[in-house]
Amino acid sequence: MDFSLLLAAGGSNAAIWTFLFYTIAVFVIAGFANRLLKGKDFLGEYFLGSRGLGTWAFALTFAATSASGGTFTGFPAKIYTHGWILALWIASYMIVPICTMGLFGKRINQVARKSNSITIPDVLRDRFESPVFGIVSTLLIVFFLAVNLVAQFKAGSVILQSLVQDVGIYQSGVQWVAQRTADVGFLAGVQPGYLLCLILFGLAVILYTSYGGFHAVVWTDVMQGVVMVAGVAIMLPLAISQVGGMSAGTRAMSPNILLTLSPPTVLPAFQEKLPIVIVDEVGAPGRCFISNSTFPKGVVSQTPFTVQVVEMDDSLHGVANARNRVIETPNFIRLSPETGWSVVSRREVPFGFVTGPGPSRDDVNGFLPFSLAISFFFMWAISGTGQPQYMVRLMAFKDTRTLRHAIVAVTIYSAVIYFPLVIIFCMARVLLPGMENEADKIMPTMAVTLTENAGVPWLAGLLIAAPFAAVMSTVDSFLLVISSSVVRDIYQRNINPAASEKVIKRMSYFTTLVVGTVAMVFAMNPPQYLQDLIVYVGSGLACCFLFPVAAMLYWPRANSPGCLGGMLVGFGAHLAPHLMAKFEGGSFAKPVDLFGLSPLMAGFAASLIATLFLTLLTPPPAEHLVRKYFYKES
Amino acid sequence: MPVRGRPQSVRGKSAAMIDQPPDDPVFLHARREAIVILLLWGAAFGWTVTYCTLYGYSTLESPMSAAEVPLTLGMPSWVVWGVAFPWLVCMVVSIWLALFFIQDDDLNSSSDLASEESND
Repeated sequence: MDFSLLLAAGGSNAAIWTFLFYTIAVFVIAGFANRLLKGKDFLGEYFLGSRGLGTWAFALTFAATSASGGTFTGFPAKIYTHGWILALWIASYMIVPICTMGLFGKRINQVARKSNSITIPDVLRDRFESPVFGIVSTLLIVFFLAVNLVAQFKAGSVILQSLVQDVGIYQSGVQWVAQRTADVGFLAGVQPGYLLCLILFGLAVILYTSYGGFHAVVWTDVMQGVVMVAGVAIMLPLAISQVGGMSAGTRAMSPNILLTLSPPTVLPAFQEKLPIVIVDEVGAPGRCFISNSTFPKGVVSQTPFTVQVVEMDDSLHGVANARNRVIETPNFIRLSPETGWSVVSRREVPFGFVTGPGPSRDDVNGFLPFSLAISFFFMWAISGTGQPQYMVRLMAFKDTRTLRHAIVAVTIYSAVIYFPLVIIFCMARVLLPGMENEADKIMPTMAVTLTENAGVPWLAGLLIAAPFAAVMSTVDSFLLVISSSVVRDIYQRNINPAASEKVIKRMSYFTTLVVGTVAMVFAMNPPQYLQDLIVYVGSGLACCFLFPVAAMLYWPRANSPGCLGGMLVGFGAHLAPHLMAKFEGGSFAKPVDLFGLSPLMAGFAASLIATLFLTLLTPPPAEHLVRKYFYKES
Repeated sequence: MPVRGRPQSVRGKSAAMIDQPPDDPVFLHARREAIVILLLWGAAFGWTVTYCTLYGYSTLESPMSAAEVPLTLGMPSWVVWGVAFPWLVCMVVSIWLALFFIQDDDLNSSSDLASEESND
């Protein structure tokens, strides 16, 4: 993404300064957090903050962890590509905060205190007195979150690259890296700029997380959560006002017309003085593309610019006042020296941008058919409740008053983030038409456009910082969940139960460093279908953990065979549609749908049935366990 | 000794279980609160998916163009009544539940980290 080119256009290096400020701030925070480790139980403080989180810290770390890089990159791109139907796609966030915090929060915190647990596998192991359960759940968490960690590292590097790529010292660094890695076979296909930013981003996150532990993660999450809210709060009124009001914006959204752009071609017309006449549209009467910018002959523009599609006879009207015409005439494309021009094919589709199921390039049934709408209502609210990385935060709040107030805060937080994003990026279809081929750039492009038009280009830095904050807050949380699972659940509880605090301390620092470094190495050559793997990870974790954890907390009859069986059956049932797709010659990332429902639904159903039946078919739990967790202590 | 079936105090009190300690109030409160939250999720799910499907979907048989879609507050009406309105209701109900329905309970036990900390 060429964020910095865009920022340069606005005469602002604010994003670069924002990143530097961030980096310094998180290290200062890590330093303070490390001081808290002194004089306290190390594991409890390092991985769980001694269960002492207050309302704001708990609320914002919970909210910031759930907002990943996808919230500010992939989600806006989807809104831009498919329109208002994304309001339904994300609708279950209306109920996500109360579900994810209220369904398990109070009870899991209590059970964790009773068993003196600091991780989810720890809780499962102690609640059922089953070391096998602890190990299996640890392995599942490490597997799923490690895959996701690789994806988040990649996102962090891409965003950082876009922020700094215009800076001289960065360009020198890229050349240095290119020279050093030219002969390294493993890094043969890796772009030097991506590699440099991956290492910078990775080292920053790994070091502050390793050094500061849980409190460093929480406090940086608080800072990052505030940045995200500020970004949305600034963009919303600017977007609405600049399209001339929301009604004008919605009416201007292309009526049932889908633009498909061909692969880009280098643009020879950049060598000529404007207006430039480029090409006809495929399969349509002759039209020409006219830029709203002017460039001296022979000078290649360094920034993308908007061109208007007009009829041949109307071409003279296109040059002046193009920005205003954008709203009136939606058929625009964007060109840049990097991407060249693309031939536009324009076809009418049955599903437009203001109705369901929303247009889709690949699927004749549209983007969100009815069955998938059902799946997504389960996906966010119910599957979110079953994610171990959120559950572990529920073990960290101080008391129930903190939980209650945090639910209020996160409920408001979600409402002011997710629904406004739908409005902002629907309006982006009008303000910045023709970005179908580069929809993942819509967030930074929109930030620059809005702030430039409003005469405050320096604000773009803050807006573009939001996705960076989201990635950082997710990476640090995942990193700590994985390392805590390894240190506590594998090393301390299975390999060396008598380990001294000094050894545990060294192991914790070392493991966090190693896990982060390994993920960073894998991110150098990330798998092709990374975004699909992220979806696989999120739903897979929920299929494994939701019902076993629910039974553990609320069903006195629940036992180890039933819950462990439910976990493994959920894992298998969720994996099966992916494997079936592979065996049928398709892609693992495009699973076979069962009656149009996502694999999540199959996994949930199988896990629920297995947990219920296996529990009832096997002996009940020991009486002392039931007494300990379901009856008042005498 | 394993517990036979569901513990009796969970089903209801029994004279035979006179020595059974009382149910953990945190468990009872959390279970009741979870049931109410699930009901809220069900209501939100039912309203949103049903309303949006009935009023927000265009079909191949009866396609809708942008011009035909009624607007409310500048947004498609189905978004306002199918998503924004229930979102507002859920927000109000969630806040009410958090402030007035979910009970404050004592989560501490003798083995919590805070007490360990004070022993160090």
